[in-house]
Amino acid sequence: MENTIQQPLIQVQGLKEYFKIPGKGMLHAVDDVSFDVYEGETLGLVGESGCGKSTVGNVIMRLLQQTEGKLFLQGEDVFSADKEQQKEFCKKMQIIFQDPYSSLNPRKTIRSILSEAYIVQKICPKNEIEKRIQKLCETVGIAKELLDYYPHELDGGTRQVVGIARSLSLNPKFIVCDEPVSSLDVSVQAKIINLLMDLQKKFDLTFLFISHDLSVVRHISNRIAVMYLGQIVEIAETDMIFENCHHPYTIALLSAIPKVDVNDKTERIILEGDVPSPINPKPGCRFAQRCWMAREDCKTQDPTLQEIAPGHKVACHYAAVSRKEAKTAKTTILSSL
Amino acid sequence: MENNVLLEIKDLQVQYVTERGTGNALNGLTLTIHKGESLGLVGETGAGKTTAALSVLNLLPKPAGRIIGGEILYNGKSVQKMSNKELMDIRGKKISMIFQNPLTSLNPVFTIGEQISMVIRKHEKCTHRQADEKTKQLLEEVGIPGSRLHDYPSQFSGGMRQRVGIAAGIALNPELLIADEPTTALDVTIQAQILELMKKLKTQYDTSLLMITHNLGIISELCENVAVIYGGRIIEHGPVKDVFGTPLHPYTAGLLGAIPSLEGKKERLHAIPGKIAGATNLPAGCAFHPRCEMCIEKCKSQVPPMATVRPGHNVACFVKAEGK
Amino acid sequence: MDKKILFSRMLKSKFFMVGAVLVLLIVLLSVFSPFIVQFDPVTNSLKDRLISPEYFASGLSGHVFGTDDLGRDIFSRLLLGSRYSLFIAAAVVLVAAFIGTILGAVSGYFGGVTDMIIMRLCDIMMAIPNLVLAIAVMAILGPNIFNLIIVLIVTSWVQYCKVTRNNVMVVKNAEFVKASQVLGAKKTHIMFRQIFPNVTTQLIILISQQFGWTILTEASLSFLSLGVQPPTPSWGNMIADGRNYLITNPWMVFAPGIALMITVLAFNFLGDGLRDVLDPKKI
Repeated sequence: MENTIQQPLIQVQGLKEYFKIPGKGMLHAVDDVSFDVYEGETLGLVGESGCGKSTVGNVIMRLLQQTEGKLFLQGEDVFSADKEQQKEFCKKMQIIFQDPYSSLNPRKTIRSILSEAYIVQKICPKNEIEKRIQKLCETVGIAKELLDYYPHELDGGTRQVVGIARSLSLNPKFIVCDEPVSSLDVSVQAKIINLLMDLQKKFDLTFLFISHDLSVVRHISNRIAVMYLGQIVEIAETDMIFENCHHPYTIALLSAIPKVDVNDKTERIILEGDVPSPINPKPGCRFAQRCWMAREDCKTQDPTLQEIAPGHKVACHYAAVSRKEAKTAKTTILSSL
Repeated sequence: MENNVLLEIKDLQVQYVTERGTGNALNGLTLTIHKGESLGLVGETGAGKTTAALSVLNLLPKPAGRIIGGEILYNGKSVQKMSNKELMDIRGKKISMIFQNPLTSLNPVFTIGEQISMVIRKHEKCTHRQADEKTKQLLEEVGIPGSRLHDYPSQFSGGMRQRVGIAAGIALNPELLIADEPTTALDVTIQAQILELMKKLKTQYDTSLLMITHNLGIISELCENVAVIYGGRIIEHGPVKDVFGTPLHPYTAGLLGAIPSLEGKKERLHAIPGKIAGATNLPAGCAFHPRCEMCIEKCKSQVPPMATVRPGHNVACFVKAEGK
Repeated sequence: MDKKILFSRMLKSKFFMVGAVLVLLIVLLSVFSPFIVQFDPVTNSLKDRLISPEYFASGLSGHVFGTDDLGRDIFSRLLLGSRYSLFIAAAVVLVAAFIGTILGAVSGYFGGVTDMIIMRLCDIMMAIPNLVLAIAVMAILGPNIFNLIIVLIVTSWVQYCKVTRNNVMVVKNAEFVKASQVLGAKKTHIMFRQIFPNVTTQLIILISQQFGWTILTEASLSFLSLGVQPPTPSWGNMIADGRNYLITNPWMVFAPGIALMITVLAFNFLGDGLRDVLDPKKI
């Protein structure tokens, strides 16, 4: 990847998604998010529940109408496309859903589920559909006998493979993976991750990989964007995030993961309190309420994403000192417990 | 040593009868918890983790689930043979449970104060006011301001609700706390808070802990010993350091290899081939043999017994037990 | 759902079995009634007035359930009446289910203003007492079977609409609907090919329950002489005819009354049984 000239396949610019909550105000699910996804790469989008990461995926797939912002696919404006063009974009962009139970229609056989794309897009004559489905099954490794089964007769892992096969049926370039492995068991999860990575290599796919599981994201992503309360707080190459992150939230998030290795029990930063409500957020840094190094101006001034190293952007006024202060923070927080 | 045993599960077999057929959720589960021990029970979906926990409290869903063999001894006394009154006494007072989903384990029409003090009043002779006072203390113990006593469960966030669940769990100072995936529904930073809280309470109250989870990280964070469950049987048991450091059973090794690591080189994940053995399609012999790379002829027909390979570290595998 | 499980559940559900057998029997009796009845159910024969029931003393050639005040054989009238009752109920239920389902599906799927308008219409319909509406319509249009069917449809489509709407609203948020959307499927495709198959179960249950309700309502309207008009027999107007003879010749009321009760009960049992059989959540 490093050798090729990187081209943005997807450009998200100033994306906003607000929902009106009657009687309460505006819920800022996604608040001014911009990022590029380069051809052939995997961009991991991580954050905790309610941070808006799935909303970003849904807006990109036009499952939700954006409040503001633009999306370009290979330079073409997706959001302002008419119906015919939108149908064309469907062939290039697809999504894999989180829940392999609700993502497959319980009343349809696997064959019927996989044939849907060919029927609605009419890209091949009817008698060719069966051949295409067979090929799809070969690609992802679904036994042909399973085609006549109903989803509930398959286990979670196989169901997710069917979901992946469906997303590949139109030969897309770009796939949004919305928590594709979060509801699976560890041993099955590994199989799906391996499959996704194999498919990416084989078909030269570009992924936006949405997940709350940092270890999975680290494994599959080239770059990672960390979201907090509807905003991207840090974006950098994967190794950079794990070794040299600068946003206090990223630092806390990484230290919060329980590690399997018994000998690796580093001191951790325990964030206090809960994620604040995204309804009518207060001005200033969204993280200031829980941040251990928050200062006065953090509560009034919005930090913007600043490039602190090539390809490494952080939205924090005090990114320069955060790592140093994290060390002292660990001791003070732990002693207060 | 013998006196030290708090809970002993011996060769427990639990069956579920449903329309789709009979499922053997537990097939000879043997497990011992000592006083003050914190034991992690780790396994994947359908391995029988939750069934094991429910059997201990005699809470299996009726009439579908029933114990068909083996016994559960609590302080040397069989749980199955206890009268209803004795059972009620044990539930909550001696053994209490924290559930995965705090939203469904709390009753939405009562305030959290009412729910916790109800538990206290049921088991201890005290006035309403004393119970309320104790509830307030407990809430503060788990990091909730005592003033929120009169709030309803819906007014709390997921993490706070789990704190309430923990407060109710420790209210009567139980000897054994069973936690069934207590942090699975929570975010990482909230999970860290809850784990920290449980660690603190564990030392403070000196309770034994049975931690049921699929997350190996949580076990290594919170427990001294770990038991790996597969196909309704314990297949490996020992100190966390040994089991996770040098796993013996091929399943445990596979499980550890399947988790993407947070450090070091990114290697291709080791996926365990085949399907997880479920209660309805349990293979003969060693339940893991169809997925096992080391499988020998014997594994296909005989159930491997638990064998001690090194002090305190047991494994149920023919190949590994012989190679010691 | 597996056919095998479905079948074993059917056999296990007592409600379903009793309901299904009774319904089948009633339908068969009414379909083959021309071959069973021995008397003209409509023409008066005053010399045979008020004969007590012979039951099956002389087989089907006697007056099994006796005769009424105009000398007509009650058993024959009962069977012929069942044809009207069942036909009216079937027509009403099918048309009402069709209208209600489509409106409900549109309402649930599109939401917004469409949903608002349809739901308010439902509220208005539910606020008008059925009987009052029926009396008004019959008074204006005149009482006949066709108008009766119209009145019953107008009063019963709301049920289907509400049930379908609620189910569609649940299903439309499922991820498989989104998957269809991102494959570029049209709204009609999503609604009829993806969502609709998931709401049919509820609909089947409702239809069988509504069958009983419709038969009962038709009987009440006929009783009030707002439904099927004499001399055409209907269980409702047969009961009305027998009112005056309740003390002296009770069979005139009992025969249609019990027939009505058994039929309604059969359909209600079938409905309850179907709910048990088709419930996916039951283990």
